[in-house]
Amino acid sequence: MSHQMGRVVSAILERHFGEIVQKVGDDLFSYGSRPISMIVRNTGLPRNQVIDSLRTLLKFDLATFEPYNDVIVDYKLLPDNVLLLIRYPRYLLQMKSKYGSEAELLVEELLQQATCTATTLLFNIATKFKDDKEKSITILGLKDMFISLVTAGYIQQAPVAELKEGSEIPTLVPVATIVPDLDSRALVQAMNNGHINDIKDNIYWRVNYDRFHLDFRDEIMIKAITRRIDENAGELMRFLLEKMYLTSAPWAPESSPLCAVELRERCRSAATDKPLLHQFVDQYLKVLEENGGGFVRRVGDAGSGQFTVRSRHAALQLVLCALEHCVTERLGSKAARIFRLIYTKKYIEEDDIQKNAMLVNKECKQLTYKLMEEHFISVQPMRKPASAGGMAKAIYLYHVKLHSVAYTGLEMCYRSLHNVLRRAAHERSAHARLVDKQRRVRTIVHGMRLRGETQRNIDDVEETLTPPELAVLQGVEKRLKQLSTAELELDRNLFIFKWYFMYPYVE
Amino acid sequence: MAGRGRGRGGSNLSLTHDQLQALGIARGENTPQIVAPPPLFPKLEVKPLPLPSDAATDYMLIVKDQFIEYLHESPAYVRKEAETDGIERYSDKYKMLALNAKKDKVLDCVWANMPPELRPQAKKVRKAATAGPKRKLNDAEAIAKRLQTLEKKEIQGDEAMETNENEETVNNQEGNDDEEVEDEHEEEFEMDDGTDYANNYFDNGEDYDEEDDNLDDGPVY
Repeated sequence: MSHQMGRVVSAILERHFGEIVQKVGDDLFSYGSRPISMIVRNTGLPRNQVIDSLRTLLKFDLATFEPYNDVIVDYKLLPDNVLLLIRYPRYLLQMKSKYGSEAELLVEELLQQATCTATTLLFNIATKFKDDKEKSITILGLKDMFISLVTAGYIQQAPVAELKEGSEIPTLVPVATIVPDLDSRALVQAMNNGHINDIKDNIYWRVNYDRFHLDFRDEIMIKAITRRIDENAGELMRFLLEKMYLTSAPWAPESSPLCAVELRERCRSAATDKPLLHQFVDQYLKVLEENGGGFVRRVGDAGSGQFTVRSRHAALQLVLCALEHCVTERLGSKAARIFRLIYTKKYIEEDDIQKNAMLVNKECKQLTYKLMEEHFISVQPMRKPASAGGMAKAIYLYHVKLHSVAYTGLEMCYRSLHNVLRRAAHERSAHARLVDKQRRVRTIVHGMRLRGETQRNIDDVEETLTPPELAVLQGVEKRLKQLSTAELELDRNLFIFKWYFMYPYVE
Repeated sequence: MAGRGRGRGGSNLSLTHDQLQALGIARGENTPQIVAPPPLFPKLEVKPLPLPSDAATDYMLIVKDQFIEYLHESPAYVRKEAETDGIERYSDKYKMLALNAKKDKVLDCVWANMPPELRPQAKKVRKAATAGPKRKLNDAEAIAKRLQTLEKKEIQGDEAMETNENEETVNNQEGNDDEEVEDEHEEEFEMDDGTDYANNYFDNGEDYDEEDDNLDDGPVY
């Protein structure tokens, strides 16, 4: 809940829902929880617009409410959920690559609707693609996919409203997801009738972000091991994670011990794909344990070895890498060397930095101070009790407080994300007229093509966009694309930082 | 109070020579004083890394734009009231129509999960509540009724004087209660609309034949 975060949240709200929602969101962010009347007074917006904004925020689960008393309701923004808005494309990509386009359609529609009944969801998608012969999407196929997504945990039941006695304000209570039993015949009939008035369905569903995040985490861990060792080791990591889900909580900092025998069996079943992995399982386990960045640890020798997966340690390693990368890109590789040195030595004196980093005295000092200025390292003075002289009596120990440095990194992410969003907004508003013109020309041309008009007429319309205008438009498009890509990349970094902060801080 | 010692030396440096040397600044190597603020957009020393451009990224970009476009078209995107700059234009009508067509759609929510003040019917209920009670004075029947009760009370009072005292007190109490309740009612109505604006002075002519005691009150403005 930092200032930078507030700015990012505000920019994201503006991009997705417009200025008015942004104003309401800002107000809620800066004042914590407050009732409607206070929002109205503070923002100076008409009451109905504030109500509309709150509806939007509540619908997309970007805010919550709780009764203050029987009449007044306090609203509260959920900034973390607002940040998830820029991760939506990644969820869809995940769905598409893992389950195919049907799953993608389901999740896309559900993300757009925020919460929806299964029947409405299936019906809407099926109607949309009724005439699309190429994709051949049927409501029954969608239904099966929906059920398998629910089973896999990507879609979960939305919280249910409960009314307390004597109060009209509902409280939302999360419910356990039960795999639904949808009536295929009724669905087909509804498709034929063209409406779903006959089906009574009042169970609402929504996307389970957490399940996606678990997928992202696993992918990151597997990819890290693959890059560090090789593909077989990555596969082994995948098996380890698979086994981990069976015995421990998915986000557990350290999983319960996994038996090597089981892993060997799993590798044997995959022997056709990865013969080398099957042949050298023990060696791979050894390498993974010794050189795998501490993702896996051997905890016992019983049953030919027991291993735990250390999610928390993995997060720490990745955050460290990200920070090192930040230092390299900002201050150069020499500064990164100093940063690494200080981290490995834990506490180190200034003179020792020079000796160990093998840098020129002056340059080393400059970089050290620069690192300190940017809050990558911190200094711990140690007073010697009995000695005379000004500076000589204290030693200054440099060290890396990873937790606070990680916060620095997070703040940097927020700041650049805000910059990217602002820049994109500026780009869009500066060229709004041209972009609008281009869109209009495109629709007109599209209409003309449908009507089968001659190429000459179409060219005439297209030429209303002059070459310089086209050049400007191309530039804008390129810049916007770059900024959007940067947004997605920043979100990847944010994910790693959030994963690290998920586990409580220990010294 | 560390700042106190600094002003004395006359120089703007607060560190001694030894201290400076310890910090790695040699004699005669003062950093030039910077007067201007740092540039708003400092030049990048190193070129940033290229961003990935593969099919997956392209897909994500397209999906993202689609999602945002969907939101902008949906009622979730709260628009300002359509307003003009005070100059009437021919196109205003169409602009307003287009804007308001988008505005009128209500966001499709699960209303049971929303607090009552956000539900769409909340507004209607409040309107009905304020417009509901009419002023009693307009209603000829109500006035007649009231007069009757008062009359009754008077008669009753006279009778009570003649009969025994017990009955009188009981009756009086009842009467008082009645009056109190009615007074309360009236007060509520007065409070509701202190002005006459809410009153309906429209006469549809139906009551023409009937005896209208309202006329006695004189003209109403």
